[in-house]
Amino acid sequence: MKQDAIVVENLSYHYGKILAVDNISFHVGKQEILGFLGPNGAGKSTTVKILTGQLRLQEGRVSLLGMDISKELEKVQARIGVCFEQPNLYEQMTALENLQLFARLFNIKNFDGYALLKKVGLDGREKDRVANYSKGMKQRLMVARAFVNQAEILFLDEPTSGLDPVSADSIRNLILQERERGATIFLTTHDMWEADKLCNRVAFLNQGKIAALDTPHTLKQQYGQRSLLVEISHDGQLEERIITLDKSETPDKVRELLSHEKVVTVHSQEATLEDIFLKVTGRRLTV
Amino acid sequence: MNARLILTLIKKDLTLFSRNQFYFVMTIVGLVLYIALYFVMPQTLDENIKLGVYTPGIQTGSSLAGIQGVEVQPFTSLDELKDAVKKNEYPVGIALPEDLLNKIATGEQAVVTVYYSASTPDEMKGAINALINQMAYFITGQDIPLVMQTEILGPDLLGTQIPWRDRLVPMMAVLILGTEILSLASLISTEIEQDTVRALLVTPLKLRHLLSAKALLGIGLAFIQVVLFMTVIGGLTHEPATMILGLFVGSILVTGLGFLIASMAHDSMGVTSWGMILFIVFFIPAIGGMVPGILSDWAKVIPSYYLIDFVSRLSNYGATFSELSGNLMIMLGWSAVFGVTGTLALRRRYR
Repeated sequence: MKQDAIVVENLSYHYGKILAVDNISFHVGKQEILGFLGPNGAGKSTTVKILTGQLRLQEGRVSLLGMDISKELEKVQARIGVCFEQPNLYEQMTALENLQLFARLFNIKNFDGYALLKKVGLDGREKDRVANYSKGMKQRLMVARAFVNQAEILFLDEPTSGLDPVSADSIRNLILQERERGATIFLTTHDMWEADKLCNRVAFLNQGKIAALDTPHTLKQQYGQRSLLVEISHDGQLEERIITLDKSETPDKVRELLSHEKVVTVHSQEATLEDIFLKVTGRRLTV
Repeated sequence: MNARLILTLIKKDLTLFSRNQFYFVMTIVGLVLYIALYFVMPQTLDENIKLGVYTPGIQTGSSLAGIQGVEVQPFTSLDELKDAVKKNEYPVGIALPEDLLNKIATGEQAVVTVYYSASTPDEMKGAINALINQMAYFITGQDIPLVMQTEILGPDLLGTQIPWRDRLVPMMAVLILGTEILSLASLISTEIEQDTVRALLVTPLKLRHLLSAKALLGIGLAFIQVVLFMTVIGGLTHEPATMILGLFVGSILVTGLGFLIASMAHDSMGVTSWGMILFIVFFIPAIGGMVPGILSDWAKVIPSYYLIDFVSRLSNYGATFSELSGNLMIMLGWSAVFGVTGTLALRRRYR
């Protein structure tokens, strides 16, 4: 049986009297991508900070790669990679120097910074100072930095935030490549489409608690409704009709529309993660 | 403690330091300017002796103007004369007794009080005795028997007269070290401001490595520069080991202060503001190094006093290690206070 890469049991965290994380438990299997979704203030960042050793464990138990982080944090940190949401690079150093610095901290021999920069599309700009990089380039360098030590677990916080669609897509491909390499990925994102496409499972975090955790497909089946979006032309105006699927009267409704109305387009649609999040928590994911 | 991690961080900080134009230029240009300033300052002393005199009941008129190599300034009260000597405006002050003329008339010996400032050289004292006899002759027109009574005003630092450029040495040393306070504080503060510290602390690197690297870099930068300066100006000729030890402890002192400033400042502007305030306070004792006796005892509460006093007494007044060991202990004490306070505050901020 494959050992879980991340095991979290009864994790709670207080900032003074404020309870930021409220007794959550979950596990992430090896080579799995877990999407951690929730609005601002839901406790996502606090959870990531605890898991990566930026905050001390107050209550509960966290085990990464079979090691208790309260006892073997240094060993754990040698085997994880973290990509922060906000760029925190050494701006007066070149991209190559930034990566080489972290390679030395991880004690990596024969580190090939050029190859890694090429992988994230920064080849040709290796010796430019980071201060001269665009936001998108900095974000790609942040991702590259998280990849420096060939981590077994990657914590990626909004890795595609602020990137153009082409760059974002290349980062998503890199994430999938990292999973293929064997990495477990803990992905924090606001992008529901991204979570849907990349994640094996997603966790909805709301007010410090996990409101739901499962595969996107199961969540959609459990909470969402499949439907048909039908566009009809009525007196030269386009109108939309939604017909819920999986009901006994559905075939009749479809037949009636097709025979009595001028149907322009028909699309099947299913609930989005955003819809499900709203249904489960009563809150919108993006505020 | 992992030496590889610390060396990696020091190398990184040296790269960042060399690319921070403001502090890098300030360091290099500052060092060159201080050395240049030292060499353009006069090496020799004014050969005219400035003499203050208090002669109650006697009209000296222009009778003293004829004495070669002496500028005489009459004072109307004894207190004014003593004050001027204490401030070293006049290295020597002479007070004649009110009953001088009566004593001369009756053939009695008259007592003349001679006030010396702390920095008046011993060899000048013999010349002053001859001068007073000459003065008395100019005033009275005859040789008169005089008894000399001397008094040192201000701290007696063996009375060695020091050229101005050498008096500036402690001040320059503090300026060099002070520049490094700002550079170090800026490096630490920027790490927090740009949040790079979080990226470092999710690697095998720990806060103790980070703070150790900053401390070693701060001490190293300050120490190398100040030793270089002292070597170029010839400040390591007397008791070089003691001087190097003192400068090393001084480098630790300013590094502790750099930690404290970095912990108080939230950004580069904060570093500059807090740095300048503390820099000005630290500079105050340097005035005492230039003009001995001018500072009151309260200046001893300023930690830099002990560094300036150390450099001043060692390089200008021939003090020995045993005489200066107290300064070293006090400097180490202050270093510990600054270092521990700054480290604790930084630990809170880094977390």
